[in-house]
Amino acid sequence: MNSSRTVLRMEGISKAFAGVAVLRDASLEAWGGEALALMGANGAGKSTLMNILGGNVASDHGRISIDGSNVAIRSAREAALKGIAFVHQELAMLPTLTVADNIFIDNLPVSGPFISTADMRRRSQALLGRLGSTVSPESRIEELSIGDRQLVEIARALRHQPRIIIFDEPTSSLTEPERRRLFKVIRGLKAEGVLIIYITHFLDEIFSICERVTVMRNGETVWSSPMATVDAAKVVHLMLGVSAGEGRIREPTASPGGSLLQVRGLRRSGVLKDITFEIRAGEIVGLWGLLGSGRTELMRALVGLDPIDDGTIWWKGKSGLSNIAPRQLHREVGFVTEDRRGEGVHLALSIRENLALPNLKSLLSNFLLIDAGRERELAHAMIGRLNIKASGQDQAVGTLSGGNQQKIVFGRWLAANPRLFLLDEPTRGLDVSAKSEIMRLMVDLANQGCGVLLVSSELEELMRVCDRYLVMNRGSLISELPGSATAHELMAAIAESGNGNGSW
Amino acid sequence: MRELSIKRGQTGKFRSRLRRKIARSSDSSNSTTGRVPKVLTASRLVQQGLRTVLLVGMLVLIDIYAPRFFRYQNLVNILLQVSLLGLMTIGMTVVMIAGGIDLSLPANMAIGAVLGAMYMKSGGNWIVSCFIMVAVGVLVGLVNGIAVSRLKMIPFVVTLAMMTILSGSAVWLTNSLSISQIPNSFLSLFDASPIFGIPMTIWLGAAVTGAATVLMRSTVFGRWVYAVGLNARAARVAGVPVERVVLMSYVISGLMAGLTSILLTARLGSASANMGNDGVVLDIVSACVVGGVSIYGGSGRVLGAVFGAVLITVLSNAMNLIGVSYYLSLIIKGAVIIAFIAIEGRKGRADE
Repeated sequence: MNSSRTVLRMEGISKAFAGVAVLRDASLEAWGGEALALMGANGAGKSTLMNILGGNVASDHGRISIDGSNVAIRSAREAALKGIAFVHQELAMLPTLTVADNIFIDNLPVSGPFISTADMRRRSQALLGRLGSTVSPESRIEELSIGDRQLVEIARALRHQPRIIIFDEPTSSLTEPERRRLFKVIRGLKAEGVLIIYITHFLDEIFSICERVTVMRNGETVWSSPMATVDAAKVVHLMLGVSAGEGRIREPTASPGGSLLQVRGLRRSGVLKDITFEIRAGEIVGLWGLLGSGRTELMRALVGLDPIDDGTIWWKGKSGLSNIAPRQLHREVGFVTEDRRGEGVHLALSIRENLALPNLKSLLSNFLLIDAGRERELAHAMIGRLNIKASGQDQAVGTLSGGNQQKIVFGRWLAANPRLFLLDEPTRGLDVSAKSEIMRLMVDLANQGCGVLLVSSELEELMRVCDRYLVMNRGSLISELPGSATAHELMAAIAESGNGNGSW
Repeated sequence: MRELSIKRGQTGKFRSRLRRKIARSSDSSNSTTGRVPKVLTASRLVQQGLRTVLLVGMLVLIDIYAPRFFRYQNLVNILLQVSLLGLMTIGMTVVMIAGGIDLSLPANMAIGAVLGAMYMKSGGNWIVSCFIMVAVGVLVGLVNGIAVSRLKMIPFVVTLAMMTILSGSAVWLTNSLSISQIPNSFLSLFDASPIFGIPMTIWLGAAVTGAATVLMRSTVFGRWVYAVGLNARAARVAGVPVERVVLMSYVISGLMAGLTSILLTARLGSASANMGNDGVVLDIVSACVVGGVSIYGGSGRVLGAVFGAVLITVLSNAMNLIGVSYYLSLIIKGAVIIAFIAIEGRKGRADE
């Protein structure tokens, strides 16, 4: 098999969307029978590069060659014909149809005007058998577990006898046994000489199934080597880079106030494992981990947006710490979600209505009616305090810039003077100056005695403000680092937990 | 910071009272991520233009073909019909703004009327009977609301099934006959005795319109309804008790059905299963849509919807006077709805 080994080369690939460069001279090289780990932080350009290979996106510049001859891939169909298959993270299946239907949906075998069901069933069985799956071709997709669905998706990819299979975060919603089974399948495919490109956020995985690694950062491929020459810390380092960043806005505080919030043994099956921590008044705690580590899930569970299976939350009220339900905690804290446009604001409502929404009950006049004057005052004061750029308080929030929308999200909560803020990627998608403004606002709040729990994918950002770090991996808090921790220590902290053998 | 802090203690008692008043709720979390109303103004203008043209055109036609329309008696008659249709339209408006629909509303009204009338016929007190009608309406609304908000059922299907159950029950209870022999005290209060020359029903219709306008515009609940209808997920994050708001919207719809049972029974002097026939649902939805209530949820006004009810009533009345057949009138009304939804649909897409 090694004599006719597949060789994939992508060289000098560039791509810009609306003038913004997302890929700059990216290149990679991979061989059949091996798995290449494609690593990179959010927005590093992995998906775009793979979408170019998969024919979903056209590159602006660059060259792709398979087995030494240049190929042009203009559509997903052409990619399939050239033996390239893509197993997407979001499984795109038809849940009410059968396994066999789903495998053959784009090219149903027919005899005359009728679908030859028997043929389809037999061939599906063969493909699934190759993957060691015992799922019946007759079962409907909706009856299957996520892991089984994924195998069906892979079976679909195998139908075209692919030489190259791209896996985009295939394990993000799998259970531990499903994950092990998938690895077995991938090893089997490698043994058959298939070239695997494997994208994941879980570091431990690449060491167990990949032979080579390519790391991307800011649209460039910054590293390529055999897996054996790097360790986890090195990969994290390469992914995140060590940009000098800007200086700290506030030095880590040595003397935070009393405990504001204590979380004990919080658990959500398959998502969060025995989470215990506290946040004290006046401190900014960074929740640090890679995407998929459970950061966002923890935030949402704390305020009751997602259910919890076990654990207690203690909140400092007037008479000391007391147990509080997540839904009640929601009323006490300022909560900024990562999905600003979908959850943070009501795009169609005006600035005034948005700012008033969580505060309506405090804007009541007598007769239980909303006092329009006070509502306007609130909006006026917030626009001034947060320096929101708008034509007036009646402007629809959907027409504001991202930074100003985010200020509205903060403004919604500031009016109630919460003592704790849960901030999930509060600076995502903002320009540099808007980012700084939001960071400064955060520090102001901490200086006034508020506690802040901050999630950010950008390490240098966390390092500008955090007094303490909680490190997360696979739904667990694995360590805690002081505010003085260096970038290297923080990256090592996520990397060292990489055994990943825990079960839910 | 301090100047913005809100006087919590002062409003605390109102808050807790309100909390008790307003029930619990859901996330129809697959709802869209809100819409940006840039183009909204343009299409709203088109809708308003269309409404005005429709009304003026109708009045001109009426003046030519059916001058009887403008007689005092016919105008009072129209206002009576507007009040009845308007009450139900208001109920539907609240549900639609919250992002749902209540197709069972007229059937709910009919079953309440039938039960109340049966009670009166059997010698029951008419005041108790009024309570029965309202209670039936609210109860049905509660069931719809629980099904949608707690059990996450699809509003369209739940209320369609509820409509079938209720109209089936009404026919079964009455053997398709209408129940008359309603006590005079009941009839005279709501229908016969006018105040300043205007029947009680019209006064009530106007009062409810006013109350609903205030409810939707200036109360916490009203704001919540809009927020939920626009984007339930964002509303939940903002601390809105989404499930309670959805539940409550159906209860209000049921309450309106109950009130209408009383007034319509009084007006007809009898109750029957046929009171809530399919044509009534059509009229209610038409009134909402023509009145600018978005079928996508999150926008619309009570006054607009009541104006829609006026338009639909005048349209029906005029077609009747001109001598258009009932069946043709249905066709015309259906076409009017489609025209308005077409504009609405274009708006919905443009906002995405």
